[in-house]
Amino acid sequence: MRLHQPMTALEALERFLGEPGVAQALAVRRVLPAQAPTFAAVPEWLDQRLLGALTRRGISALYSHQREALEALHDGLDIAIVTPTASGKSLCYNLPVLQEISLDPAARALYLFPTKALSQDQLAELRDLAALAEMGLSAAVYDGDTPAAIRANVREAGQVVLTNPDMLSTAVLPHHTKWFQLFEQLRFIVIDEAHTYRGIFGSHVANVLRRLLRICAHYGSEPRIICSSATIGNPGELAATLTGRRFHVIDRSGAPRGERHVVILDPPPLDARTGVRPGPHWLAYRAALSFLRAGRQTIVFGRARVAVELMLSALREAMREGRGPIERIRGYRSGYLPSERRAIESGLRSGEVLGVVSTNALELGIDIGALDASILAGYPGTIAATWQQMGRSGRRQETSVSILVAGAGALDRYVATHPQYLFEATPEEARLDPENVHVLLAHLRAAAFELPFAPGEHFGAAPADDLLAFLGEEGHVRQADDRRWYWASDNFPASEINLRLGAPENVLIIDTGPERPRVLGEVDLFAARVLVHEKAIYLHDSQQYHVDTLDWEERKALVRPVDTDYYTQAELAVTLKPLEVFARAERAAGSRQHGEVMISSIATIFKKLKLDTHENVGWGQIHLPEMELHTTAWWLALDDQAASGWRRDELDAALVGAGRALQTVASVLLMADPHDLGMVAQVRSPHAERPVIYLWEAAPGGVGMSARLFDRTDELVSGALDLVAHCDCEVGCPACVGPRGESRLDGRALATRLLRLLDAAVAPAGGLGAVAAA
Amino acid sequence: MTTELAQHLLMLPGMDGLGVDTVRRSRLERLREARVRDAAEVRRPAIPAPRVGRAAALAAAVGGVVQQTSQRPIVVVEWRERIERDLAGLAWLPEPVDPARPFVLIDTETTGLGSGTGTLPFLVGLGSWEDDVFVTRQLLLPEQSDEAGYLDALEALIPAEACLVSYNGRSFDWPLLVTRYRLHGRRPPAFGEHLDLLPLARAIWRHRLPDARLASVETGICGVRRDHDLPGSLVPARYLDYLRSGHGALLRVVLEHNRQDVVSMALLLRVLAQELAPVGRTGWSSPGVHPGDLGGLGRAYARKRRHQEALACFDAAMERLSGPSEAQRYEHIAMDRARALTRLGLRQEAEGAWQAIALEGGRRAAWAWLHVAKHREHDGADPRAALQAADRARALAERSRLFGQRDRHVERDLARRLPRLRRKLAATPG
Repeated sequence: MRLHQPMTALEALERFLGEPGVAQALAVRRVLPAQAPTFAAVPEWLDQRLLGALTRRGISALYSHQREALEALHDGLDIAIVTPTASGKSLCYNLPVLQEISLDPAARALYLFPTKALSQDQLAELRDLAALAEMGLSAAVYDGDTPAAIRANVREAGQVVLTNPDMLSTAVLPHHTKWFQLFEQLRFIVIDEAHTYRGIFGSHVANVLRRLLRICAHYGSEPRIICSSATIGNPGELAATLTGRRFHVIDRSGAPRGERHVVILDPPPLDARTGVRPGPHWLAYRAALSFLRAGRQTIVFGRARVAVELMLSALREAMREGRGPIERIRGYRSGYLPSERRAIESGLRSGEVLGVVSTNALELGIDIGALDASILAGYPGTIAATWQQMGRSGRRQETSVSILVAGAGALDRYVATHPQYLFEATPEEARLDPENVHVLLAHLRAAAFELPFAPGEHFGAAPADDLLAFLGEEGHVRQADDRRWYWASDNFPASEINLRLGAPENVLIIDTGPERPRVLGEVDLFAARVLVHEKAIYLHDSQQYHVDTLDWEERKALVRPVDTDYYTQAELAVTLKPLEVFARAERAAGSRQHGEVMISSIATIFKKLKLDTHENVGWGQIHLPEMELHTTAWWLALDDQAASGWRRDELDAALVGAGRALQTVASVLLMADPHDLGMVAQVRSPHAERPVIYLWEAAPGGVGMSARLFDRTDELVSGALDLVAHCDCEVGCPACVGPRGESRLDGRALATRLLRLLDAAVAPAGGLGAVAAA
Repeated sequence: MTTELAQHLLMLPGMDGLGVDTVRRSRLERLREARVRDAAEVRRPAIPAPRVGRAAALAAAVGGVVQQTSQRPIVVVEWRERIERDLAGLAWLPEPVDPARPFVLIDTETTGLGSGTGTLPFLVGLGSWEDDVFVTRQLLLPEQSDEAGYLDALEALIPAEACLVSYNGRSFDWPLLVTRYRLHGRRPPAFGEHLDLLPLARAIWRHRLPDARLASVETGICGVRRDHDLPGSLVPARYLDYLRSGHGALLRVVLEHNRQDVVSMALLLRVLAQELAPVGRTGWSSPGVHPGDLGGLGRAYARKRRHQEALACFDAAMERLSGPSEAQRYEHIAMDRARALTRLGLRQEAEGAWQAIALEGGRRAAWAWLHVAKHREHDGADPRAALQAADRARALAERSRLFGQRDRHVERDLARRLPRLRRKLAATPG
């Protein structure tokens, strides 16, 4: 059989699945049928020039969701668009914006993107449309890279300004008088990739938007808001929480889809007793090779830069063995030069580039056209990201293939065994809490700097007076005799806010690798102990860095780039004290609660774990001070009956195992990163005097996750039970109840027993997540 | 189509019945408790000062008068001193201003150095001449809520045809005032032109001063001495303390500081008008003027492409320079002069000027020979003479190289010029 033999993506898939060793990893195979387009006429009120532009692009009718978006905006509604990758989403905002500008050249629009690369890409798209319409349009990106010479021009004349939330917060809003032309005439705010605004970042962005809308009101403009989001469980609520408005949600795509075969591979454990599993890269590599040899355009996503480089060189090597053209397989990640990236993107569109191995840098909206196969080496962390990566393949006419190769982590396994989450209703919700008091106060300072507050004036959904009085005690603001609150400090509050962090005190991470050391980023003090302790491996933009020194007094971590095959995980010794219960409800075997807690924690040791298999390959000690954190937590307390009949060490193992499983499921439900939620299990809680499992939020003050876990407790418990009960390990593994400690107990059986008790009154075992056990 | 209405808009999940307001209050309460434990931080909330008589009390404390505005009263402090208004020379500045305009010298004191909307100019000093009496009027803001009337009063003191004079006012003071008017939804006051003294001071005097701050320039150039001056960095805290305490006396030193800034600008303006700007026109300067200042002024003219005036300044400077101690400065100015000659199209004079520099044998002699070669090659069309000059440049460049001081510009130029000249020479008959 010839190695290089052109064939269709489907044929290549069949051949790959027939290869030895692949069949036993096959967990799921689904065919998503092709969908014909649903067209709708172009609204008759659309400007003739825009109509002409559409015609020149070969568009004679709109997709139904595009038409719906246009009409809703025409009726003055705010809209949230939730449609898949490559469904013509940008027309949903570019058309109405250009329409408004065609009617009134003074009209302005502000586009927000989470990354700089996206701004550039969307600017090109917008300019292209305007050029086709033969409309004069002044549109520009305003970010840290914008040359000083053209900034004034963008401020005064930019009809469409594309920027990011960080720039908006520090460079635009505090200087709003320089932007008065924009704010007086602002008609649209476009918030793209809104699902990325969750957690602490989302809580900040919601407050930046409060400041933005407050300034608009000052200048008398009432912009409509267009949010677009990947598919998540609560797009309308997300948009509403972010902006404080109500949205018309558009979630039925009218765009056509070709047939897509989705395959999930879940490699069995290497050793069922320890539960050690292989990493996803070998299978992902073999899958990619099958499609490349068949001449199909393929994208492979890896989670870390090392993984990307490994797969890339292996693929190039293999293709040369088969005398393939090596330069047709490229790598793509954020370290590459923009020109290099543009070349790869256009190479993919033209077909010159056959394969690309990428980090998640290609996940968000950059236009690379549609490919034949997408292969995900490991679960990308959220279902939304999974679909965005899978969406990179998908031809309109031919069949395309997407393969997810599950890694060894708990999340990977959970999603691999719960394909209904992927194919039916996504359980993921983006959570944020604009009322996080630390975040709120930081932005209230910035808002008071921007404009004085009238007595009784709202910031968000409630009056700001109490908060302002609090700031008055700090001396940042003062109330004058007209009862208005004025900024009264020589600080520049917006510069003190880092939108990615929860606490005001941060550790600076400095890369000493390049000749001139540069700041990579910041982490808050609390997280610094587990992320940048000495000898930690810190991951930034998919690049690994080794922490050489952590200067705790100076709040600096010195790091240098390395390529290693391990990562580090620090352990915190945590004591937890509930301060206030916000809500409590009785349930099977006890009660669920959520409220405010104080965490005292000390970082003890760190472990070195293999990237691929998460095997422990070493450890070290951490010497850093104990710290306190006020945050929110959700917890389950067992009642006496449920707590009886256990040996103490068994109950301990059961609580820890169940807690870890609950933590995994909670991460899925709330799109949380592994660092966002901590877990504490107590056999006899000093406060409740009974066994308790806590999940606490790592962001100071929390971002609303615990409250939501309280609402979704039943789902959480049955999901955890399902995860533990149906794991294919013997007595517990890192993917269910966590790694086996010293004890000889059967952690999996104990955790299952406990979770059954907790789940009993809700649903039969398996509950929401029932699937055939592997 | 689905319309998902946000149910949690006014309520946080899991907090049934609790409005955002309640949540905020309870969270704030816990934060406050935490802060009370760190008692050092707690300050008493400011109590708004009584409204009646506030301006009067402030005026009394700082020796000013209360001025009624369209809104609420503000405080004005006035100073008069004799400074002759002899500004005709300003018409010949590199960027000329019309001496017939009413001059408004302007300097602000603010609550911060940033330029955002939270930085408040609370004191604006305006200097102007009434015949030969120089009047400084300082508008002082009694309270943050009094700004609307304050802006009216300020606008009334800036005639639409005025020439504003400032020190770094183009990038700091004026944009900050524009911000205030925009913030109040008003147009900023119109004016005729704006003379910012900072770039001129930097060009002319910086070479003999530690920096170009107004304090350094007034001392070095006008001999002003300030006693007990308040450093500018302490100004914001003074005003914020006044706002919280109501003690107007705190602001006396700020007013004095601001007045001196305005007066110093008036003095600098006179130095410029009387001693410097006329040089460009007449080519004559009083013996007291430092030749380096003339060089700087010449370069300021050159940047505005006013090469005739630049030349006049360079000539005047060179006349004044002598002695080996000033050889470097002389060479520097001589080169600027030669460039000005080239720009004016006086090619022969330019060639002569470059040759003179070259024959002096200073640090840039090689460079000067190159210029000579350039003129001979292109203007004189004499490749033989050009080659001779280029050879001199080469010899000098080689010597510097032996001493480890390579001049890469010269070497790069020679690498192309020498072969080209040799080719031209070979092609020329005879």
